[in-house]
Amino acid sequence: MAFASVPARAGSQRDPAILRRRMAGFGLLSPALLLMVLMLALPVMALILMSFWTQDGFELDRTFTLENYRQLVATTDEPTIWFGIPFPFAYPVPAILMLKSLAMSLVATVAVIAVAYPMAYFMAFRITRHKALWIILITIPFWTSYLLRVFSWKIVLGFNGAINSGLKSLGLIEEPLEFLLYNPTAVVITLAHAWVAFAILPIYVSLEKIDRTLLEAASDLGDSRLKRFFRITLPLSAPGTIAASLLVFIPTVGDYVTPALVGGPGGTMIGSLVQDLFLKQNNAPLGAAVSIVMMLIIATLVSLFLWAIGYRKLRSRRA
Amino acid sequence: MKRIKFIDRMSQGKVSRRDMMKAAGAFGVGTMVLPRVANAAEVLTCLEWGGYDAPEYFQAYVDKYGAQPNFSIFAGEEDALAKVLAGFAADVMHPCNYSVARFVNAGVASEIDTARLSHWNDIFPALQSAEGVIWEGKTVMAPADFGNSGLAYRPDLIGEEFLANPSWGIFYDEKYTGRVAMTDNEMAIIIGAMVGGMPYEEAYKLEGDALVAAAKEWGTKAVNVSRFLWTDSSEVQQAMASGEIIACYAWNDLIANLRAEGIPVEFAKTKEGSFTWFCGLTLLNTGKADEQAAYDFIDAWLSPETGKTLIEGSGYGHANVKSFEIADPEAIANMGITDPVAMMKDTLVFRTPTDAVQEGFNKVWSDTKALKG
Repeated sequence: MAFASVPARAGSQRDPAILRRRMAGFGLLSPALLLMVLMLALPVMALILMSFWTQDGFELDRTFTLENYRQLVATTDEPTIWFGIPFPFAYPVPAILMLKSLAMSLVATVAVIAVAYPMAYFMAFRITRHKALWIILITIPFWTSYLLRVFSWKIVLGFNGAINSGLKSLGLIEEPLEFLLYNPTAVVITLAHAWVAFAILPIYVSLEKIDRTLLEAASDLGDSRLKRFFRITLPLSAPGTIAASLLVFIPTVGDYVTPALVGGPGGTMIGSLVQDLFLKQNNAPLGAAVSIVMMLIIATLVSLFLWAIGYRKLRSRRA
Repeated sequence: MKRIKFIDRMSQGKVSRRDMMKAAGAFGVGTMVLPRVANAAEVLTCLEWGGYDAPEYFQAYVDKYGAQPNFSIFAGEEDALAKVLAGFAADVMHPCNYSVARFVNAGVASEIDTARLSHWNDIFPALQSAEGVIWEGKTVMAPADFGNSGLAYRPDLIGEEFLANPSWGIFYDEKYTGRVAMTDNEMAIIIGAMVGGMPYEEAYKLEGDALVAAAKEWGTKAVNVSRFLWTDSSEVQQAMASGEIIACYAWNDLIANLRAEGIPVEFAKTKEGSFTWFCGLTLLNTGKADEQAAYDFIDAWLSPETGKTLIEGSGYGHANVKSFEIADPEAIANMGITDPVAMMKDTLVFRTPTDAVQEGFNKVWSDTKALKG
């Protein structure tokens, strides 16, 4: 997308100086490019290849087949009902978990944006001194391991955890609340907390860039503060907000550590299934097929989302 | 000043390689720069149950090699097997009588030469020849620990109804929703089928439609009723200790550990029965370490000192007859098991399913958990 905004310079390709500069550009890119090829492109290729094989007991059958994908879409006459939604699949688990993961990530993303936006707004408009310090303060949770943070949520939400013992000592409850841990809500809370700092920074940057004179002009022309926010601040910060929500939504759909630790069976997500297929059911080819379908679904959804909100228009307006 | 001079000399190339290494070594850089010594032995890698990675279980090995082996902890044998099949190079694995065949059939286990184990002759003869230790005529597991899987409960919290008629049925009874914890294992389906009246001998080899039906009926109930499905024994012990749950599927260590804390806990004498397992060490052919190190590790596990630790610390039995001679008699009496043969008569000994049955269970159990609403 970054290339799209660079105006094309037709006819200049052959110019040796430009060519040299371009090569230097690729030279600068190459460490990252090499790393991407080695650590991302090749494994994804391997995954795609593997999804066309099958597992036969302990042996990997390397003949090319679409069997894994067929398994994922094969239908049956007896649909599995899950929360009132019928899934007409013979193997309904992937479809159900996919839908559930998307819903859980969506809720987590909305929660993250709801928390991150006011915080970013505060940093951009209310903080005038020591901005760097505030940004560092926001990153402090990242100085500890992600696992440690998930475990702390386990302690906070647990049966004898912080919330339960707090409420108990205040005399508000007799018995500890059991709905806090081991369910989708616990996963959503944990995910939202874990990703909030990732969302603050892009939103902050787009808010920070807003030309303050536009706000003054709006006020001068009689806009109330609220109206000014909805007409100027919100639209101009949309690119950062959208980037932040994608940054949160895409990785959380496939998360499996969080559900494994705080989710219980009810909090299982699609990533848990992939992990289970690879590391428990010893069916790597089916696991590969599930993860590829998951990737495609997420990519499609994100593209649809960007198309629906007219992301291109949004970008060109800012430029 | 000395430092600056050193840097000066270094930049002028006047420092010999030896001086350079000495200086670097002083700051701990040496190990990174030095090429690895070519003949240094690979460290032994063991796939182990959580808690069994404590050095007191293989002290003789630590004494000989001066260090612990590397451990990779697994929650169930199928996880460990999948990890090995995915390319994890382990030398020793700790399977149990019912699961060792999977490793043999997958072609990752080697036969054990019992002559290389100094403690072999002190092993209970019944265990030396038991199914699982011997598979297809070969010794594939050196038996080390044995114990029970049973229903552990808090007598102070569980209530009269259960005490009057103890049954595994509470794991499938909505009245106990959120108060019990099953293990995260297909045993949830097998025990359910037993609650439904099927004998263990049939339940452990459920297959095909019968398996799917049992999973739908019993597996789903177990998943819905359980507060959580436990994979790690310390997790379930904490939950039992705090009263978060009042009953669980448990091993002897839970009873021993909670009693040591002064928390009342009992194994129930359920009408369906309880189970006996014995586990041991299996040589894997995927490892990179010296085979002798693997034998030393296994031998350390078979020593009576390890048995003493196991009996006194965890309440498990040990395969070495002499363990029971040197362990604290009170601990032995507490444990209630002295002879594996007698114990196996009173309980259901876990059986080895075929590969097809095990794979069926793996899949159906995963699906059952995933479909929880």
